[in-house]
Amino acid sequence: MRIGELMDRDLTSVTENTTLREAIEILSQHNLTGLPVVDETGILVGFISEKDIIKASLPGYCDYLSGAAFIPDFNQLSEKLRQKGNEFVGKYMTRKVIAFSEDDSDLHVALSLIQKGLKMAPVVRKDGSLLGFVSRAHLIEYIMREEPQE
Amino acid sequence: MIVTVTLNPAVDEEFVVSEFRPGGWFRSRNAIRTPGGKGINVSMMLGQLGYESAAMGFLAGFNGAYIRDALRRERLTTNFVHVKGETRTNVYIIDETGHVETGLSEPGPYIPEEAYDRFLRNFERMLQRTRLLVLGGSLPPGIPQDVYGVLIRMAKEFNIPTIVDAAGPSLQSALEAGPTIAKIDHRFMSRMSGISLTSLDNIIEVVSKLHDQGVEWAVTSYHVYGDVFFTPQGIYLAVSDRRSILSLFATADALITGLIVGGEERMAVEDRIRFAMACAWEDAMHVEKGFTSREAIEALMPRVQLERLE
Repeated sequence: MRIGELMDRDLTSVTENTTLREAIEILSQHNLTGLPVVDETGILVGFISEKDIIKASLPGYCDYLSGAAFIPDFNQLSEKLRQKGNEFVGKYMTRKVIAFSEDDSDLHVALSLIQKGLKMAPVVRKDGSLLGFVSRAHLIEYIMREEPQE
Repeated sequence: MIVTVTLNPAVDEEFVVSEFRPGGWFRSRNAIRTPGGKGINVSMMLGQLGYESAAMGFLAGFNGAYIRDALRRERLTTNFVHVKGETRTNVYIIDETGHVETGLSEPGPYIPEEAYDRFLRNFERMLQRTRLLVLGGSLPPGIPQDVYGVLIRMAKEFNIPTIVDAAGPSLQSALEAGPTIAKIDHRFMSRMSGISLTSLDNIIEVVSKLHDQGVEWAVTSYHVYGDVFFTPQGIYLAVSDRRSILSLFATADALITGLIVGGEERMAVEDRIRFAMACAWEDAMHVEKGFTSREAIEALMPRVQLERLE
């Protein structure tokens, strides 16, 4: 099946000039794990995940432990996040984004997400403009729902 | 892309009861829960007729999550700003015996200034890819009364045609900005003009002035089952048959949807009016919002009584 059939056509996104504080607020209110970053015409230019934001606050620990799961002290993180809150998304976003086209197959997208360890990824048009996103949860929901073929 | 803006969405709950009266206790034989608000309704109805659109506005709380999920299941494009609080619920009680509808509406969540600014930034970005803008419905607390005027002026900078269906001061601000098509609440126009709009002559006198403000098409209701259309090719009175009507809930949104599809398909003026009226009529023939099928709409088109007024 084409990924266009099961993707979420939500255009929630930020720009490079969005502050980390606002990005965190949007992640929380929309219950997302990451946000596409677009330019003023809606072309995808990057992606910022909750991990990128934690990494921005505690880069040493994340690099050393290859993840954000072992944060030693919430006070330290909280203080660092407040300091970083007014900095811009553009400084910390991932610029080499793994994105899909709506014509990509579900199998191709599922394998890519698993191999790259991604929870979600943007879906774009041929001109690079944002169409929505696909998540591991969408794929799992779809796989569970589908009747086995005889 | 067609973009619809619903600043104050709602979860619409329709209950069908017999012999409804205030003070009683009723068990509904049928309850329908759907995402609502004028722009969202138009987006969903456009989807039923095969037209893609993107829905924008504000969502909050559990109701907001419900609307967001329901639109995702319909595969509609969305770009809502989420805020704290709770998206409102609108309750409609349809008395199938007395053919009376009763509605109850909440005000909606408070929209903080920073959320409004975020919406405007998203909106400006969306305009880059918009070919038609649809604005409609009430405003939640916190949103400036002139918002529709602001959004129409922004769209005009990109030469994007606009459609507005509103009432009160927000409609007034929209009309001052000159939308392409306006659905006029005739009670509001009556208050604004100080003229009772019960006669066709009075309606024509007041609404014709809107053409001077750059409004190409204006539509206003006339005696419940009729609408007067002010078009570049003349003024028309269109009437549908009241006997087959079950619920008038969301029929104005169906009419707007019909006007949009008629415009997209470059229908001649009279066909476009017939199609829009047939959309509203078909929607009114059942409790469920939206259309049974395109064929059902087209079957009603010849039955719309259309008269060109001198």
